[in-house]
Amino acid sequence: MTLPVHLRHDETFVLNLGPQHPATHGVLRVKLTMDGEYIVKAEPVLGYIHRMHEKLAEAGTYPQFMPNTARMDYLHALAFNHGYALAVEKAAGIEVPERAEYIRVITVELNRIASHLLWWAAFLLDLGGFTPLLYAFDDREQIIDLLERVTGSRLTYCYMRFGGVYNDIDDEFITGTRDFITRLRSRMPRMYHDLVTHNIILIKRIKDIGFISEEQCRRYGATGPVARGSGINYDVRKNEPYSVYQEFDFDVPVYSECDSMARYMVRMDEIEQSLRIIEQALDKLPDGPVMAKKVPKILKPGLGYHYSAVETARGSLGHMLVCNGDKNPYKLKLRSPTFSNLSLYGEVAEGMLLADALAFMGSLDLVIPEIDR
Amino acid sequence: MSVIESVKAAIEKVVPFSETVIPADPAGEGEEQQPDQVVHSAGAKEVDFAKTGCSLDVLCTAEQILDVAHALDGEQLFIESIAGVDWPKEDQIEVVYTFSHFQDSDVRVMVRLRVPRSEPKVPTISKVFSGADWHERETYDFYGVEFTDHPNLIRILLPEDADFYPLRKDYMP
Amino acid sequence: MESENVPSSIVQFAQLDKLLSLGRANSLWPMTFGLACCAIEMMCTGGSRYDISRFGAEVFRPSPRQSDVMIVAGTINKKLELAVKTLYDQMPEPKWVIAMGNCAISGGPFKVKENYNVVEGADKLFPVDVYIPGCPPRPEALLEGIMTLEEKITGTRRWPRV
Repeated sequence: MTLPVHLRHDETFVLNLGPQHPATHGVLRVKLTMDGEYIVKAEPVLGYIHRMHEKLAEAGTYPQFMPNTARMDYLHALAFNHGYALAVEKAAGIEVPERAEYIRVITVELNRIASHLLWWAAFLLDLGGFTPLLYAFDDREQIIDLLERVTGSRLTYCYMRFGGVYNDIDDEFITGTRDFITRLRSRMPRMYHDLVTHNIILIKRIKDIGFISEEQCRRYGATGPVARGSGINYDVRKNEPYSVYQEFDFDVPVYSECDSMARYMVRMDEIEQSLRIIEQALDKLPDGPVMAKKVPKILKPGLGYHYSAVETARGSLGHMLVCNGDKNPYKLKLRSPTFSNLSLYGEVAEGMLLADALAFMGSLDLVIPEIDR
Repeated sequence: MSVIESVKAAIEKVVPFSETVIPADPAGEGEEQQPDQVVHSAGAKEVDFAKTGCSLDVLCTAEQILDVAHALDGEQLFIESIAGVDWPKEDQIEVVYTFSHFQDSDVRVMVRLRVPRSEPKVPTISKVFSGADWHERETYDFYGVEFTDHPNLIRILLPEDADFYPLRKDYMP
Repeated sequence: MESENVPSSIVQFAQLDKLLSLGRANSLWPMTFGLACCAIEMMCTGGSRYDISRFGAEVFRPSPRQSDVMIVAGTINKKLELAVKTLYDQMPEPKWVIAMGNCAISGGPFKVKENYNVVEGADKLFPVDVYIPGCPPRPEALLEGIMTLEEKITGTRRWPRV
C-alpha cells in the first residue's frame, strides 16, 4: 500500500513559484522544496528585474540619478527621492529652506499612505478578496490627484531637488489634503477595519502565521513594519530624526505578536500616524522659499563616505555615497529595506503550508524592483 | 555605559583606535582632489555622525572582519548592508559593511577593508549575521569578491551564466 | 486601418470572421503580468476610477493559456527574457501584445551605453501590436491602447478619436 504523499518524508519535490505568479507581486521567483503541502526549503531567486541602478548612478551626474530613484520603489517613490536628496545634501552641505522640509514631509507621508493602501489591496487580493482593492484604490486615487497637482506625475515622482522641492504647494492642495484626511478617517473604521480587519476569514489566514522573532530580525537586518511587528521599536524617523520629523508628535506602532497579523496592524496604524503628521505639518507650514539659493549647477560634494538613512513604507533605506570630488558619484550603494526583509523568508517559511507561506509573503510587502535595483 | 561606548570597547579589542583623526571633509572649495586622497590610515576612529551618518569608522584587514562581526554581534547591532567599492588606481577592491542598532540612535558602525583586485578574498560573516548571506552574494555578483566559506556563493541578481562583474570601474559592455 | 486587414486564414468566412473579431475585440482577456512600475498603473486601470471593465478587458488571467492579450508592463531584463518568451509562446492564437511604457518599447531610461542587463524593447523578443509611451503611461493611455487594439482587430473604432 502506498502512503499518502505527506507521510513519505523521504520524498520531496521541487515546486517553482514565479517569476510570473500573481501572488509574488511582480517577478520574484521562489524555488520551493515541498513535502506534500509543507515547505521543506524555500529559496527566493532574485534578479528578474535588476535594472543596474547602481551602475547608472556612477555613469551620470548627481541630479541625473534623481529620476531613477523613483523607479526603484515606485510605491513610495517620494521617500526614495527624499533619501537620495538628503544623502547628496549632507555630502555637499546644502541647506534646505524650512518650507521645503515641511512640504517634503507632507508629500512623503501622503505617499506612504498610498503605499500602505496599495499593499493592503494587493495583500487581500492574494488572500482571495477582490472588493478591498476597489475601496483602497478609490482612496489612493485621491492621494494621487493631490500629489499629481504638485509633482506633475502620478507614480514615479521626481519632485525633490537638491536644496528643496521643485514646485510649491498651493491652497487647493492644502484644502484638498485636509478634506482627504477627514475622508480617510471617516472611512477607516467602517470600510477598512469592520469589513476586513475584524473579518474572521482574514484573522484565520494571518493570525499566528509567519512568526519572525526579534532575534531573527536583528540577524537579517529586517526593518520597517516587519521589525515593528516583532516588537522592535525602530523607526528611522524617531531613531535618527531627519528633515523636520522631530517637530511632530506621532507614535511608532509596535506589536509584539511577531505574526502576519501584527505586521498588518502596524501598517494600518501607520496610516493614522501619517495622517497625524500631515495634519500637524499643514498647521505649522511656514512661509518662505521652497528652493535654496545658491545651489551650484554642478555639484561636487566633499570627499569621503556619507551614509544617510530614511524610513520608507517598507523600512530603513540607506544611501551610501562615496564621493571623490567628481561631478558624478564615485559609488552609490542603495541599502533597500525589502532586500533584507525578504532574506529571512527562507528561514521562516520552512515547515509552513504553501498557502500560509504565500500569505506570509504578502505580509512582508514586497516591491521587487527595489529588491533587485 | 551607553551603547556607543560599549561598542567602542568591543571594537577596540579587535581593531585599535588610531590616533590621527582625519576630518571627514578635508576638501577646501575649489581645490583639486585626487580620488586616492580618500584613503586614510588603518584603525578605528570616531567620526561626526551629523556629517557622515556614521559614528564609528573602522578600517580593518580581511582577517579581522570575522572578529569584528562577532564583537558587533555581541553588542546587538544589526547588519544594514555590505557594499563594494572599486579602486582601480590602487588595484584594490574595498568592502564596506554598515551596522546599526535598533534601540540606540546615532549608532552606525562602518567597517571597511581592502583586498587586492586580482585576488579578492574575504572571510564570510554570514555565519554570524544571517542577513549577510545575500549581501555578500550581491557583492560577489557586482565585484567578484570571493567570500570564503560562504554556504552558497552564486550569482544573485545577474543571470547565472554571466561572466562579468558589472560594477568594476573598467567594465564596459 | 483598412490596410491592416490581412487575411488571418487561407479560407475566409467573411461575415463569421467579422463577428468573431468583434467578439474578440470586446472581450480581450489580458494576462496578469506586472513587471515593474507600469504594473501599478495597470492595476489602477483595473481599479475603481478607470474601470477597464467598461471595455470588456477586465478579466485579468494569471495563466497565459487563458489570455489573449499580453500587456508587457515593465522592463524585461536578460534573466527574465526567456520567461517572457515562454509566456508568449504559451498563449493560444490569436494573440496580441501591448508594450506598455518606455521600457517595454525601447528599454526607456535604461537604454544607455552602460546597459548590461536590460533588453531594449519587447519587440526584440516577439511582435508587438500596440505601443503605449509614458514612464509610466497614465491609465487613460492604457485604455486608449486597448481601444487601438480593438481598432486593429475589427477595423473600426469604438468611438471617434478626440
